[in-house]
Amino acid sequence: MPQALHTVRRYGGLAVRLLLIWFALEGPAPAPPRVILGPPQTVETLHPVLCTHTRLTDEVEEWKIQRTLSMVREMGAATIVEFFPWPYIEAQRGHYNWAFSDRIMRHAENQGLTVVARLGLVPAWARPPVVEKVTTLSYLPYDQFDSFAAFVGVFVARYSTQLGAVIIWNEPNLSGEWGNRPVDPEAYTDLLRLVYEAAHAANPSIVVLGGALAPTLEPEGSGSGLNDIRYLERMLEAGAGAYFDALAVHTYGFKNPPQADPEPNVINFRRVELLRAVMVRYGYSSKLVYITESGWSDDPRWTNAVRPGQRIAFTLDALRMAESWPWVKQVCLWDFRQPSDRQNRRDAYYALVSSDFYPKPIYEAVQAYARGWENPYQP
Amino acid sequence: MIRLVALRKSIARWHGRIRQHPRVTFVALIAAALLVAGWGLTRPGAWLGPQDLTWHRIQVNRDLYVGIDPSYPPFAEWAPEQIDGLEADLAREIARRLAVQPQILIMGFDGLYDSLYVGQVDMVISGLHVDPGRTDWVYYSRPYFDAGQILVSRTDAPVQTIRQLDGKTVAVELASAGDMAAQQWQRRLHALHVERFMLPDDAMQAVQTGEADAALVDTISARLYLKQREGLAMAARTTVPDGYVIAMRRQDYRLTSAVDRMLANIIADGTLDVIIARWL
Repeated sequence: MPQALHTVRRYGGLAVRLLLIWFALEGPAPAPPRVILGPPQTVETLHPVLCTHTRLTDEVEEWKIQRTLSMVREMGAATIVEFFPWPYIEAQRGHYNWAFSDRIMRHAENQGLTVVARLGLVPAWARPPVVEKVTTLSYLPYDQFDSFAAFVGVFVARYSTQLGAVIIWNEPNLSGEWGNRPVDPEAYTDLLRLVYEAAHAANPSIVVLGGALAPTLEPEGSGSGLNDIRYLERMLEAGAGAYFDALAVHTYGFKNPPQADPEPNVINFRRVELLRAVMVRYGYSSKLVYITESGWSDDPRWTNAVRPGQRIAFTLDALRMAESWPWVKQVCLWDFRQPSDRQNRRDAYYALVSSDFYPKPIYEAVQAYARGWENPYQP
Repeated sequence: MIRLVALRKSIARWHGRIRQHPRVTFVALIAAALLVAGWGLTRPGAWLGPQDLTWHRIQVNRDLYVGIDPSYPPFAEWAPEQIDGLEADLAREIARRLAVQPQILIMGFDGLYDSLYVGQVDMVISGLHVDPGRTDWVYYSRPYFDAGQILVSRTDAPVQTIRQLDGKTVAVELASAGDMAAQQWQRRLHALHVERFMLPDDAMQAVQTGEADAALVDTISARLYLKQREGLAMAARTTVPDGYVIAMRRQDYRLTSAVDRMLANIIADGTLDVIIARWL
């Protein structure tokens, strides 16, 4: 016993001293920022058509998610499009990890925002083993369409009250987005059918958005993709019209003002009218269009970019124009902010807010438009 | 005199200590010598120090790999035969002075730093700015071009600094960096009237027509505008600098110092001005 007491006395003091040193060293380390939900907010806007595509998928820090969504609300956008990759949630078959999506949905709800969820990418378990075939994250084998549909059903059931719509896949008319395979509008139609049934079984009032096609002029047989107009025609010929509630459209202006006339061989903002015309021609005039990506870049080193003042004028004109079209439900500006401007220059110059939350002039101009204030960047 | 006495006393004291402890003194001297030798031998390029293998390869193969994003005319653009532009010319001039063959590799902007990191290229000349977050491994040269916001005024009423515009009118491009800077200067000066125009050319035209006393626009637009018109001149220095720099790997210490030297010569002998004037 005395021996044990001696040992305690001998090493106890040392342990206490080490503990004190540890506290002294640990003390000055900054605590991670506390993120608490404030009182529920509502979006003040005169233009509910305004929406923006956020990039919270790879955002690590929760306070940045909260700050992003509060700035979206302050801008006057009531709706966001956000990407929820399937592999992030169902990395193992049948095991769902909702932490990532819950975090975004919780903050979006707190800010009074409606979420349009873009769903896509494929977990490793749903793709062929690497020894068999090397595939990309966008490679969805045809025999796994039902697995993706099941995931969409579970997702819609979980967030039933917060979702404005779900976008099924992204730009399937680009081979890079279709697993580096030749694009296949008929197969995409099959996918839409399975997903539509699963989503509506989970929530009959959910809006399923089909399409989300990339604006491209690629001809039939191209290795890169297929012209969005032709792709939509082939989708509708395959019967896709019965399996989506509204059409998602990506439309970019590049160097052209929004007023530029639509032409099949030109990519500009009013290309959306050509896609709408296809819908009308095939008897789907009652289906609304959600412009889920749009905007202009003011990158000084990109030949398809415009000057910052033009960007503001073109964006505001495009919003006004889209509001005058009764068949357009939302115009979502690409993109609100990205986690790091250093990694992706192209998107950094499309963003409305810098990575460090500095609101660019375009943000202030869009905010003034949405809130009914005087435009601080009037020429 | 007092200081000299104190110094003599101090020397005498140390002398006494050394005589008193000869072994300790010997060990201390040896340790100090080893430290100095170790420091010297592990310097870059020394016997035990890191070697600049890039420089070694350049000397053996006589080639220099330069990464350029050719989407930024007139700095770099993809001509049918080769990459043309100010930056391509600068790369070729540096290579010529190093007596090596330039190999220009084209790549997307977002891949430039990765290519430098993995050693695919030896340097990047592509309108880069100093990025403090990368300086742990990237060495940046001095700027070879300042694309910042510069004052443009009439030659008969030159304006060199924005302070000279107190009580006057400055024309800016809407929502540009010049617009932001003018808004800041509005708070600093007694009265600065800011006129906004959709394009930088419109702002400079306003100076020509007398609507504004000066325009604050980016240097590239200013140079291109002034090339075609007379009666206007740029200030000697930019109001909001925006320097373009060459990026190299910090570990390539011989290459960085050689390029720094060449760039200094290119600037000093006026070659850089000739290259810039060729494109802007």
